[in-house]
Amino acid sequence: MAGRFRVVTDSTSDVPSEWCRRYGIEVVPLKVIFGGVSFRDRVDLSTDQFFSRLARAERLPTTSAPAPGDFASVYERLSRDCDGLVSVHISGELSSTVDAARVAAQSVEGFPVHVIDSRCLTVCVAFLCRVAAEAPSLEAAVRMVEERVPRQRILALLDTLKYLEMGGRIGRAQAMLGSVLDVKPILGVSDGRVEALDRVRTRNKAIPRLTDMLRRDLPVERLAVMHAQAPEDAERLRAVLARELPDVEVETGEIGAVLGTHVGPGAVGLAYIKRK
Amino acid sequence: MNGQLLKQALLGSLAWLGAHQEEVNRLNVFPVPDGDTGTNMLLTLQSAVEHVRESQATEVSKIARIAAHDSLMGARGNSGVILSQIFRGFASAVQDKSELTPLELADAFDEAANAAYRAVNKPTEGTILTVARQAGRSAAGAAQQRGATSATVLKAAAAGARAAVERTPTQLKILREAGVVDAGGYGLQIMLEGMLRSVEEIQAELAKIRPVRPAAQVSLDLPEEGWGYCTEFLIQGDGLDVDSIREAIAALGNSVMVAGGSELVKVHVHTDDPSRVITLASKFGSLDRLNVGDMSSQHRRIREEAEPASRPTPAVPSELRRNGIGLVAVVSGHGLVEIFRSLGVDAVVAGGPTMNPSTQDMLEAVERVPYHEVLLLPNNKNVMMAAKQVDGVSAKAVKVLETHTVPQGIAAVVAFRPDLPAGENLTAMSAAARHIQTIEVTHAVRDSRSNGVTVKKGDVIALINERLRHAGKEYVVVVQEALDGIGAGDYELITIYCGQQVTEAEATRLTEAIRGNFPTLEIEVQSGGQEHYPFILSVE
Repeated sequence: MAGRFRVVTDSTSDVPSEWCRRYGIEVVPLKVIFGGVSFRDRVDLSTDQFFSRLARAERLPTTSAPAPGDFASVYERLSRDCDGLVSVHISGELSSTVDAARVAAQSVEGFPVHVIDSRCLTVCVAFLCRVAAEAPSLEAAVRMVEERVPRQRILALLDTLKYLEMGGRIGRAQAMLGSVLDVKPILGVSDGRVEALDRVRTRNKAIPRLTDMLRRDLPVERLAVMHAQAPEDAERLRAVLARELPDVEVETGEIGAVLGTHVGPGAVGLAYIKRK
Repeated sequence: MNGQLLKQALLGSLAWLGAHQEEVNRLNVFPVPDGDTGTNMLLTLQSAVEHVRESQATEVSKIARIAAHDSLMGARGNSGVILSQIFRGFASAVQDKSELTPLELADAFDEAANAAYRAVNKPTEGTILTVARQAGRSAAGAAQQRGATSATVLKAAAAGARAAVERTPTQLKILREAGVVDAGGYGLQIMLEGMLRSVEEIQAELAKIRPVRPAAQVSLDLPEEGWGYCTEFLIQGDGLDVDSIREAIAALGNSVMVAGGSELVKVHVHTDDPSRVITLASKFGSLDRLNVGDMSSQHRRIREEAEPASRPTPAVPSELRRNGIGLVAVVSGHGLVEIFRSLGVDAVVAGGPTMNPSTQDMLEAVERVPYHEVLLLPNNKNVMMAAKQVDGVSAKAVKVLETHTVPQGIAAVVAFRPDLPAGENLTAMSAAARHIQTIEVTHAVRDSRSNGVTVKKGDVIALINERLRHAGKEYVVVVQEALDGIGAGDYELITIYCGQQVTEAEATRLTEAIRGNFPTLEIEVQSGGQEHYPFILSVE
């Protein structure tokens, strides 16, 4: 069975379950810890369950990367019925997940596991998984994914700075965002780094900002609208984009627990891969 | 008329305006605690005579030039700026004269009026402009009479001004409705009458003049070593050649900006040897507003100097902005100051209703910001013109945003992007300011009728986007009317900035009422701490 390979990712990539079924993508869960109780993301705790707990929580949950052993056992199992793996993960600058995957990859001797740091997160990683899964061979998959890493971008409107502040993750964005007034930040992720791109005070103003920013990056080969518990805004954004970009299939993705811990409910955004 | 007589005339006008300050202040079109025209004109005039007072110059040109320069630096409020332009026009008409004949004096009044007209984008009749013009015309008529003297010309100018002031309500509907004459025009009339009294040797009021605040000193400390010094100054002189100055300066540093005209040139350069630049530049003319900063330590030092210990310490950005643009805002009230600061404003100039900062005040703030380009937010219509003068007297490139209210200023600052150049920021910030709805709530300072709204002294009144729209007895009712008036239900967010005099109970009552009436809107309440306006609301 020469050339048969599988795709592995982690739960932060927010891969729609339909894609997992269709492409056989294997998802290794991160852990979400609420008040000392640990849950496997999207296994013990669905995204909806997570956000309803988050709304009630007095303190933010913490998240932790999978242990190398978690990856190793998945790699081990998959090594029995295919010839190699592409394992695509959340940016190493944001999580140690990819390091755990690398350690695990070395423990599976004689079986090729190509671990790729996406330098991005959420639906962009899901897109990379799909690119890999649709590739004709393991080598082609690795090449096609790596070649797209620098072309990915995430744009997201956060409804509030509260969660980012509570999680201590404001970092470089602080100068622009630390404010007495309630401002809603528009953050961008490209080349592994999160940065504050803009800020607005109302959600209605954010949608044209997001689409303006996307317009500067056109054309795109993959595009998704994503949201954390804000399906109506996501649909509104999707409708605008579908009208404007009739040739692009606009997917819809849900932001999961790990990213949701930092962006909070109400976040809405875009994930895309620019055309070469 | 010689220099010393002009000096006495100016001192006389200052004394007379001082005596009539409150009278001019009361001629306010809107019954709001705002736009103290008399105070603004008096403070501007005080600046104008600050150095004139000590001058022994006998040439009329010298006295006029000093008054023109100093009035520009001290200009406050729109009326103050127009006044400074009147001085400027007068000075340019007499620039090479040591004495004036009556005819030349009349011509100078005429040129003063022309300069005032040129200072305003859309000149409106029935204002100080009309009064200045009529004073000039009457003066010209008197100057042609046989036996004309400076006194007869001044007398005619004052009489012409008085007649023009009386006609202002026929020219402007808002004056007619409010039952007042134009305040700025009346102030000018008073000044001319004061000059006349003085020239007729009446100087009894001089003792009452209040001192003017001294201008802050510009520090010039040169650290011994460093990779570069940001050096900025103005060159003043006659027949300056911008191109040759630029060429000379460019040889001594980089980031060179040299701009201006034959009398005033702005210079900005990054250099390793500021003293050489200064020596070189002083050969072209006299230097003013000299500012040398060590670029590495500049930001920190300026912050420390600019912050008195009593003020809240803002978060100091760890690095300078990429686009090299600084933000300066005119705002008062501890809460509002902190909001502007936290949104990234680098320096704040105290000011607002009833307290319009001078061009000099804004200039000092602009100069201490560690950026060469500065966006200035006046946040009050009456500050606008003085703000627009800053670019002309600063070595920095200063652009003024059309923010007439605090919410407009906040909307503009929120839209500021530290990664974009000034042009793009100006466009986006102006658009943001235009799209916000402002409701200002205050108490009427007198009985009045304007915009068809009848108001009794003490009433709660609401201005929507600067226009008086609603009046009543209670905050809750008046604010509700104002919110309905702008169709607030179609918006997303109401922000309420509570003033200094508002009690917590009043604030809670208003907030709860708004929440009840607009359940789908987000409501944010902030302590603004502003004076005179119990509530300022923005709707967006």
